[in-house]
Amino acid sequence: MIKHLKVILLIISVTFFQTTPSYANEEVSVSGISYDEIYDPIEPINRAVLNFNFFIDDIAIRPIVKTYKFIAPEPVEKGVSNFFSNLKEPIRTISFIFQGEFSKSFNSIGRFTINSLTSLGTFDLASKIGMEKNETDFGITLAKGGVSSGPYIVIPIIGPSNLRDFSGDVVEYFVDPISNNVPNREYIAIGSGLNERVEIDEQLEKVRDASSDRYEMIKSIYYQNRNAQLEEEYIQNLPVPKIYIE
Amino acid sequence: MKKILIVCGIIFSFSTIEASEVSEWFEKESSQFLEIINNNEGTESENYERYKYFVNKNFAVKSIAYGLIGENIINKSSKSELSIYLSAFTDYLIKTIYKLANTSTSSLITLIDVDVKDNIYIIKSEISDRKTSANLYWKVIDTGSSYKIIDVIVENTSYFVTKKSEFNKILRKNRGSLEALTKEIRKI
Repeated sequence: MIKHLKVILLIISVTFFQTTPSYANEEVSVSGISYDEIYDPIEPINRAVLNFNFFIDDIAIRPIVKTYKFIAPEPVEKGVSNFFSNLKEPIRTISFIFQGEFSKSFNSIGRFTINSLTSLGTFDLASKIGMEKNETDFGITLAKGGVSSGPYIVIPIIGPSNLRDFSGDVVEYFVDPISNNVPNREYIAIGSGLNERVEIDEQLEKVRDASSDRYEMIKSIYYQNRNAQLEEEYIQNLPVPKIYIE
Repeated sequence: MKKILIVCGIIFSFSTIEASEVSEWFEKESSQFLEIINNNEGTESENYERYKYFVNKNFAVKSIAYGLIGENIINKSSKSELSIYLSAFTDYLIKTIYKLANTSTSSLITLIDVDVKDNIYIIKSEISDRKTSANLYWKVIDTGSSYKIIDVIVENTSYFVTKKSEFNKILRKNRGSLEALTKEIRKI
């Protein structure tokens, strides 16, 4: 009961934030996507959390990731990545149903069945036979339902998010048929989190010192990637500079 | 009806010629870029000069630099301030590409598709090494005498959009001072 109450409270809080604009200043706006100013009312806290996350990453997570990448041969790394991705197919199936994307939903459950039965999800046979992976999550479902992103937040250990996407993550945690039906679900969550960290390792190394303001850079990259998942013609609609004679 | 079909045919053949021209330019320049990335024989300054030549030849540096600060800042800044900023930004862009290229071991850029929207060519390509591959989009304009890159989008991250948010932040923090932004980008 308490579990369900939490979900309801969460949905109410998300609905409340529907009235909050995603962006405070819409200087650059193309086809409904605005890129100039992301709504970030708790920036000082977020900056502190990001610094904390980098600190934890430096002293604990990064050494684990580097050791893993050094030890694990490439096929093992790929297999582990496929395994965790496969565990997310059932929740993707549910998300697609809520989005009204029934063919994608069938595709997700089909992929889960094929990959689980043939290799416990470590090999993506489904893609080889034309059933490509479609990424989605509850944050996207909420966005497609008209919920705005709400304020940008950096979550300890986890990283960049916004109120809508974080709420989506929490809902997923409660309704995910896989993690709700396995003992020690925490291990799966930790494993999945570490796997995601391994996957972005190279990009993260570049972000560390490629910018005058890594906080601003990470925030921008996060929103661009989320918008790309929501917009059909995302690349075409990105703002471009006015042309000056060189 | 016949006339309409002829007109459509002419328009289509023109856009096909333009797309093939830009594809040709892209194939040539991307292979040159890979050559620069993979050639580590020269000294650091020699390699840097190669990147500088490549960036000045192929990027619409002024449009990107001015686009990042916006009309308001351009209008309120003096010519000398803009010129100093432009020179600092050019150096910054070269260094960024130089740094990124030095941490990558790319061996192949494959052209996938060319699309045109509002006179801007959107070139879809794939950059790959032995381990991984990534989608790479280039937004290119035709200046009449040559093609120039106005944005590079790696997977879904646009260089222009990312830098615009960073530069806006610096400008806001320093009450729109272009001098402060120039100092900041010189630090990197």
